[in-house]
Amino acid sequence: MTYQFDFSVIVRSLPILLRGAVLTMGLSLLAILLATVLGVVGAAGRLSRWRMFRFLAAAYVEVFRNTPLLIQIFFLFFGLPGIGIRLSAFGSGLLALCLYTGAYNVEVFRAGIEAVPRGLREAAASLGMTSFQSFRHVILPVAIRISLPALGNNFVALLKNSSLVSTIGVVELTFLANDLNAWTFRSFEIYGATALIYLCMVLLLVAVLRRVEGRLLVYIRRVA
Amino acid sequence: MKWGVVVTNFFYLARGLEVTAGIGLTVMLTGTILGFLVGFMRISRMWLLRTVSLMFVELFRDTPLILQIFFVFFGLPALGIRLNSLLAASLAMTFFAAANAAEIVRGAIQSIPHGQVEAARSLALTWWQTMSLVILPQALRRMVPPFMGLFTTLIKDTSLAAIIGVFELTRAGREVVERTLASFEIWITVAAIYFLICYPLSLLTQRLEQRLTAEAGH
Repeated sequence: MTYQFDFSVIVRSLPILLRGAVLTMGLSLLAILLATVLGVVGAAGRLSRWRMFRFLAAAYVEVFRNTPLLIQIFFLFFGLPGIGIRLSAFGSGLLALCLYTGAYNVEVFRAGIEAVPRGLREAAASLGMTSFQSFRHVILPVAIRISLPALGNNFVALLKNSSLVSTIGVVELTFLANDLNAWTFRSFEIYGATALIYLCMVLLLVAVLRRVEGRLLVYIRRVA
Repeated sequence: MKWGVVVTNFFYLARGLEVTAGIGLTVMLTGTILGFLVGFMRISRMWLLRTVSLMFVELFRDTPLILQIFFVFFGLPALGIRLNSLLAASLAMTFFAAANAAEIVRGAIQSIPHGQVEAARSLALTWWQTMSLVILPQALRRMVPPFMGLFTTLIKDTSLAAIIGVFELTRAGREVVERTLASFEIWITVAAIYFLICYPLSLLTQRLEQRLTAEAGH
């Protein structure tokens, strides 16, 4: 018996898949926001004057960059209850995504901060700014712009990685695709269509990032 | 805390680790070979080769690896291609690795100043001579750090094979958890094993990167 292709199943599944796409987008945007904050905080830690902070930030980065995201998700969801910490599936999925991408963001921001011309820091200091003021108002705005292309790559990776939270039962695009596959047995059509939806979301995100880069980099050319 | 569980199941996890290493090394090899092929297609003079390779790269870089694995394992039987879970995961990961490797190869080759190609041409070197004697010796050095970064990613990504039922380190961990319920201890151990493989690789990558940038500064 040969397989009969039935692409009408894609049309019928489309409303569900698109709802999944919206959920994936929402989850990813939330994680992007939190991972960016985490990246800035971590980078400040890695460049801190205190050894303790430097060590903690470096340990965080190395641990989360050198273990699989799937294991981190499993650890947060299945492992932590072992010591009495219970997170919902959504909570552990979101947290794992943030921690994983945050670790990569730390390195991007650190490189960005180190690439800020020294003169800017000295100028801020000579204007009597405290080190926090100089970081917040002078260094960071420039560093973020320098980091933007690499940061964008991390965001795209996060969007793709968000599919892994389906393994602990968070309802998003991949989870719904698995569901549809179980109902219809149309694996080729369903997974093919789902992959194309991810492709569209990634291309959309890349396009948005390009626009933002274009806007922000006008300013950097004047500074550097 | 039941840390004894880790000791008694150590060999079970080690058997999983063997498979993880096997998939990892296989995919590194096949992905690199295919990646060079696709990378050269990306900079080919022929329009068709460029378009086909570009589509391949975008398709496999812009979709989640887990969906590629699902597609190969659950979807391809529709075309009469039935693979067991180990082969399906390896094949999907090979494509994923090749797409990323192709971009590294292309990037490294295009980072060599074009004047060198022109100089080689004016010395009447053929395309192949230009590549093998002038461009590649420099480009290959620049490829080493990003390739090592890719290999680290691939080792971490072998954990996804567990989702379609391949018995490797992650699956082994899951089975031990189901048997012993010591989830905290086992998942920390599994994470530590991955860390022990990936961290030295990352360190080496950083060293090589620093050396290359230092050389470029001269």
